[in-house]
Amino acid sequence: MPQNPPGAVRMGLLEDLKEKLGDIAAEIREEKPNYYSVRVEASSLVEAARRLVEMGFDHVASVEGVDWIKEKEMEVSWHAESYEPDLKSIIIKLYTRVPRDDPRVPTLIDVWPSAEFPERETWEMLGVVFEGHPDLRHLLLPSDYEGIPPLRKDYRIKVEGFIVDLTRQQKQ
Amino acid sequence: MLGPLDPLINFILEPYFFSPFIYPGLTIGLVVLLTLIWAERKMAAKVQLRYGPLYVSKQIGGALQMIADALRFFFQEPIIPRQVDKIVFLATPALALTVTVLPFIFIPAAPSYVGVAVSYSLPLVLALGALIPVVIILMAWGANNKFTLVGGIREAFMTVGYEVALFISAFAAALYYKTLDLSVMVEKQASLGLPGIIINPIAGFVFFVAMLMASSKLPFDIVEGEQEIVAGPFTEYSGILYGLVMGASYLYLYVLMLVFVEMFLSGWLPVIHGLGSIYPALGGVMLFVKTYILLLFAVFLRGVYGRYRLDQALSLGWRRLVPLSLIAALWSFGLLIAGV
Amino acid sequence: MTSQGSRSSETDMGYGPGTIKEPGFRYRPMGRDAEGMELYEIFIGPQHPASGHMRIVVRLDGDIIVNADPDIGYVHRTMEKLSETREYLKSIPLFERATIIDSANITWPYVRAVEQMLGVEAPLRAKYLRTLLAEINRISSHLYGFGLTGIFINHSTMYMWSFGDREIWVQLAEELTGARLTHTYIIPGGVRRDLPQGFKEKALKAIRYMERRLEDYMKIFVYNPVTVARFREVGVLTKNDASRLGIVGPNLRASGVHYDARIAEKYGAYPELDFEIPVMEEGDSLARLLVRIEEIKQSMRIIKQVLDKMPQGPFFADKYMRLIPPALRKHVAETGRIKLPGAFIRLKPPAGEAVARGEMGHGEVFYHIVSTGDTKPYRVRIITPAFRNVVLFRHLTRGARFMDLPVIYGSIDYFPPEGDR
Repeated sequence: MPQNPPGAVRMGLLEDLKEKLGDIAAEIREEKPNYYSVRVEASSLVEAARRLVEMGFDHVASVEGVDWIKEKEMEVSWHAESYEPDLKSIIIKLYTRVPRDDPRVPTLIDVWPSAEFPERETWEMLGVVFEGHPDLRHLLLPSDYEGIPPLRKDYRIKVEGFIVDLTRQQKQ
Repeated sequence: MLGPLDPLINFILEPYFFSPFIYPGLTIGLVVLLTLIWAERKMAAKVQLRYGPLYVSKQIGGALQMIADALRFFFQEPIIPRQVDKIVFLATPALALTVTVLPFIFIPAAPSYVGVAVSYSLPLVLALGALIPVVIILMAWGANNKFTLVGGIREAFMTVGYEVALFISAFAAALYYKTLDLSVMVEKQASLGLPGIIINPIAGFVFFVAMLMASSKLPFDIVEGEQEIVAGPFTEYSGILYGLVMGASYLYLYVLMLVFVEMFLSGWLPVIHGLGSIYPALGGVMLFVKTYILLLFAVFLRGVYGRYRLDQALSLGWRRLVPLSLIAALWSFGLLIAGV
Repeated sequence: MTSQGSRSSETDMGYGPGTIKEPGFRYRPMGRDAEGMELYEIFIGPQHPASGHMRIVVRLDGDIIVNADPDIGYVHRTMEKLSETREYLKSIPLFERATIIDSANITWPYVRAVEQMLGVEAPLRAKYLRTLLAEINRISSHLYGFGLTGIFINHSTMYMWSFGDREIWVQLAEELTGARLTHTYIIPGGVRRDLPQGFKEKALKAIRYMERRLEDYMKIFVYNPVTVARFREVGVLTKNDASRLGIVGPNLRASGVHYDARIAEKYGAYPELDFEIPVMEEGDSLARLLVRIEEIKQSMRIIKQVLDKMPQGPFFADKYMRLIPPALRKHVAETGRIKLPGAFIRLKPPAGEAVARGEMGHGEVFYHIVSTGDTKPYRVRIITPAFRNVVLFRHLTRGARFMDLPVIYGSIDYFPPEGDR
């Protein structure tokens, strides 16, 4: 069994990212140590993802959406990781913001095959349409689920207390 | 004086009734079934660091658990799904049991004691046993369920996998004995003073493995394959119908084991004198003891092995067991030529 | 939205001819592939002896699997939505129910992410205690997976043995935390309890027992000819595919990728401990089994070191200790048990976001927390290792035989409640 390679962390990744993605990215930031975020427009997502793969970030840990209901925007993000020895401590969040009432982004599963299931989940949970995704079926929810995607902030959770008032239910 | 029950008792004691229905047949078969499954569960439990059957009759280690299970099978509602072919669905479990019990008529149970004496008892027994897969495939088709269909196909594949090796190895042993009559084989072994397994160990080994495949015991319980196809051809059965089909596979193992002991382990030898004079069938007590011990060994394998894959079992059958059984036939032939 | 993207063969991870992708497509009993050949379709689960809480739609050409489509979600408990409705602390008992067999490891990264946002760091002793429980959990999680792998090829002895031996580790965890499975031991700022008296002797005894038992496992199961025949060269995952599909955990390391979140994130006491990350090159089901066995050994090695090196000092951050009234604080010092003050529930991280990863028994778990400065998180994203590995059902079963399906299922150690969250 091989010994653990030294945990060398790539230095100056922020500069690398700026050099590589500077022309298409709206914003590149170091959020926390080893955690960078790259904001791009929806139209240049595929290109940005492709460049990240070239840098070594060849799979995503997560695809997710955040429903910013006050700004009327939907943030869709891909958290890319790498198994390369010098990049393994780093997470890069590639994200974009699209209008909340019609959130459409291109799918990145051609670039990141690992995004397939989480994109499917984000589609059903937040209603984000990943254009070009070949398999947008319900994953976790029942296949006949209809209505507001449950992770949106305007989805109302029906709370049932410990004591259910039957008379009130019958009136309804 | 002729008592009123004497004709009945005489009838029961006639070999053509006693042999298929009492010993070695149905009654003793049922006892074997109940105790063997209990012993199987108890042995597996011992290996697996647990108790096994316990709560029904705690004083005797839960030995009555199987009777309780059998009673439960009797009183459980047998559900007949809507999509099944009703006649086939209901008839096949009984049919499977029937073809499993039929060979008992031809298996000699004690010195010169056999239900129906025929000089071709070995091929007859094996041929009757070879009918079981046909019934099971019919059962799988009649149940009209995806899992049963896959199970039926697996049964068909397995049948061609083990049946050839089973027959050739049996005939390889018979070749040396120059007879196809099981009781003559035992006599041959008596006159030689050697059990058949020493005369032709390869045939004995192949027959034993093919026997495990035939009765779908681990590591060859492919047809039932719980983890893929629920219970294979038996998926749709419940209640006593399931009890019948499950019991049939154990009974078939018992049938084959009797044949194995007679062919390779010198049957009822050594004869315990005195027992045979009480009633002739009692002379076969050693046959039963040997068979039972080997049955215990066969079910003990559950604690040791997992399940082989279908294609691996088939390639074992065709690539290993069939050539080995041919070698066994050559071996017998060589012994004959050498005049040993 | 159903247009089929053009895909090169390299990135084609499971859309063969015959896969029908339109949403709302209803499976017919007999499907057809592109050439019009009939395929046999079998629904494994959700009510099936070996499906777990999920369904796998298998399409067969003879005995060969053309396509297996994992259909998960039968035990979805809306954890991401629920966590938005409750305070940060209350989500810990919720998340540990995703993987109840590995509850310390699944909540630890969450706690670390919350700590990051709060700007708190656990004292060193707490880090060691967390590591201790995490490794105990890892062993019991691997044993659980091992037992299921055994029963998937009907090897009931392996099943009973590993479930029985798992009990030892569950009891050890109970000794440490007071709960058998749902420990809620790791909380922001430290741990809930100090190391009990006489724990070291019990742990060392358990390790000695387990080392002996692992040899028995090798004899009766791993090197059993039947097991080797069933597992070798079945479900081979290449290094490139493992990396591209983002596979995690022992499944990744069995394919030759040297990656472990414990090393990548350098959390807990791991940077100070001496242990190896087992890696194998074969990528088949047998390699995945062997990597797990080796990980159990390494976990025991870590536990020994943790118990030897356990530093003295507080096990709960001073910042929160001060919230506790002085009388109770004395009680905490005497008994070694935290009694949380009511104010503790109103943890209020500043607006911002944090990510954290941690290595569970099944693989890497990922948390992304978005805070708006409220007492409740705005959004929590959990990606569990099982959810990342679920794609393997499709990827590895392709071209495999139907009877290989349980073997692959067992060897990737998929845990449906974890995948569904």
